[in-house]
Amino acid sequence: MKLVYRLALRTLLLLFPIMAVWGFFFYRAMIAEVVDETDDTLEDYSESIIRRALGGDRLPSISNGSNNQYYLTPISGEEAAAMPVISYKDSMTYIIEKGEKEPARIMRTVFVNDMGQHFMLTVATPIIDRQDLTRQIFYWVVMLYFVLLLTVVVVNMVIFYRSLKPLYVLLDWLDSYTVGKENAPLVNPTSVTEFQKLNDAAVKNALRHERYNEQQKVFIGNASHEVQTPVAICLNRVEMMMEDDSLPENIMQGLAELHTTLQHISRLNRSLLLLTRIDNGQFSDVANIDLCAMARRYADSFADIYSHRGITCEMRGEKQMHIMINPTMAEMLVSNLLKNAFVHSPDGATVIVTVTGMTMDFSNVAESGPLDGEKVFERFYQGSKREGSTGLGLAICSAICRAYGLGIAYFYNDGTHHFTVRG
Amino acid sequence: MKILVVEDDKSLRQIIRETLDAEGMVVETAPTYAKAMLKLEDYSYDCVLLDIMLPDGSGMDLLDYMKSIGKRENVIIISAKDSTDDKVLGLDKGADDYLAKPFHIAELVARVRSVVRRKDHGGEMAVTFGNIALRPDKSAVTVAGTPLDLNRKELDILAYFLTRPNHLVNKQTLAEAVWGDHIDQVDNFDFLYAQMKNLRKKMKDACADVEIRAVYGIGYKMTKI
Repeated sequence: MKLVYRLALRTLLLLFPIMAVWGFFFYRAMIAEVVDETDDTLEDYSESIIRRALGGDRLPSISNGSNNQYYLTPISGEEAAAMPVISYKDSMTYIIEKGEKEPARIMRTVFVNDMGQHFMLTVATPIIDRQDLTRQIFYWVVMLYFVLLLTVVVVNMVIFYRSLKPLYVLLDWLDSYTVGKENAPLVNPTSVTEFQKLNDAAVKNALRHERYNEQQKVFIGNASHEVQTPVAICLNRVEMMMEDDSLPENIMQGLAELHTTLQHISRLNRSLLLLTRIDNGQFSDVANIDLCAMARRYADSFADIYSHRGITCEMRGEKQMHIMINPTMAEMLVSNLLKNAFVHSPDGATVIVTVTGMTMDFSNVAESGPLDGEKVFERFYQGSKREGSTGLGLAICSAICRAYGLGIAYFYNDGTHHFTVRG
Repeated sequence: MKILVVEDDKSLRQIIRETLDAEGMVVETAPTYAKAMLKLEDYSYDCVLLDIMLPDGSGMDLLDYMKSIGKRENVIIISAKDSTDDKVLGLDKGADDYLAKPFHIAELVARVRSVVRRKDHGGEMAVTFGNIALRPDKSAVTVAGTPLDLNRKELDILAYFLTRPNHLVNKQTLAEAVWGDHIDQVDNFDFLYAQMKNLRKKMKDACADVEIRAVYGIGYKMTKI
């Protein structure tokens, strides 16, 4: 998820309840104010009536030509004592002017005149107008809620994009950066200190990476030279000694074993260097290679070599599988997986290579149970130790697949090992 | 045949010298870029064995230098830098062959002979040993002028021995040369025995005066009877 969307989402999630609560209280406060105003009006009205009644003035007509109306009822002292001096309530009241019952705000008050006669005054005003008002208030609060929410999010996003532009320029540059290749310089002018620091750090890091990569390449070249030469000398010395026909058989056999071991060291060294070079991306030139044709070629050759053990190879599925890969690495990948299948097959078994779409599966009958799927591609992991095996073949396959964006997986199914390459 | 060995490692230089001496070649050595340059200016050689990494310069530069002074010796690069780039660059610069360390001494001898033969005879000369002759394109073999009928693998094996006479070739090396490098994990050479048995029988039946001897089950050597 992009940072900007995450920020927008979080702002939205947080503001949603906060503004809802704010809207609720705002609405409540507005309504309380409106009710208060109504009650004040009723109070003024009742006061003017009481003043007239007490002053002996002529009382206005009941409805007074407006929606406001009143009832003046004489009551006994006991009744008056039982009632509160002033009370408010909302209820349905018959409005004379309208000729029907309507919801109204009613104020009831008790007063006593000079003669000691108690009166109950009921003033009422319909709340139709108030309902309209509250509806309007509610509508506008909801509108405000959504508009405010949207505005906050949009403004946030615009500000975010504007201020983080240098970050995106930097990210694009990092994406396009490949260690060991020609890279465009970073052009990202900014006045923000944090971004300046980030730019500097990225460029510094890239340079350091470049330097390490260079050093590593040089080291690999040198290590190869330094180790291979002494090994070559030992090998050649042994070979020269073995040229001598007069040597007794036991010495000759000893030399032969020494020769085999030295060759193993040499192969191990070469494989390790190869692995490092693949991981360093030193086989970057790619071509469109048909893995299927390659597998067929190697299958014939291996079937020839392993014919004495009665192992055969069968190609199934599609006849082609084209991928973009370095040709040498493609050969390494296919021959290693095929060899692995042949070497670990019991006598008389059949190695099956199945091609479906963009996957190539190498399967062979297992000599023992399943291998550890986690470790099978690690260096020097060997299910069963074999003479002359470097234990690096599958690690090399895995490194090749990593380098060219291919998938490689191991699974065990019904007594067979499967290694699958996914293009 | 006169050979110049440009190699900074003393032991390896010594081994190459002993090996080529035993083949009856005249061997001179140069441990550094500067010494190699002096020798190349003053003398001419049939073949130069050139290490790439020298203490005072690169063998690649020496190739350029040879071209600039108009020297047209055969050059075989011997290097531990077993990378395709190096190989291509070296061959581009005019080297005739490339041999990665470590190499088998029998291989070295065969390569030197092959390079000189290619240059001197335009590749037209057959490889012969005893009364066996191999056509230069390695397509057919004759024994005392009579064609010998061999299958592909037998022909490859015989060609390998003909270019390395009198040298012990071990089974592993032979298998790698004929069946390919990917053979390196094979623990059983039965497939090789079958081919060798047939080949030796065919040679004997054709009255060849050379034989491929088994040496203590380690390998084989082609010698005159």
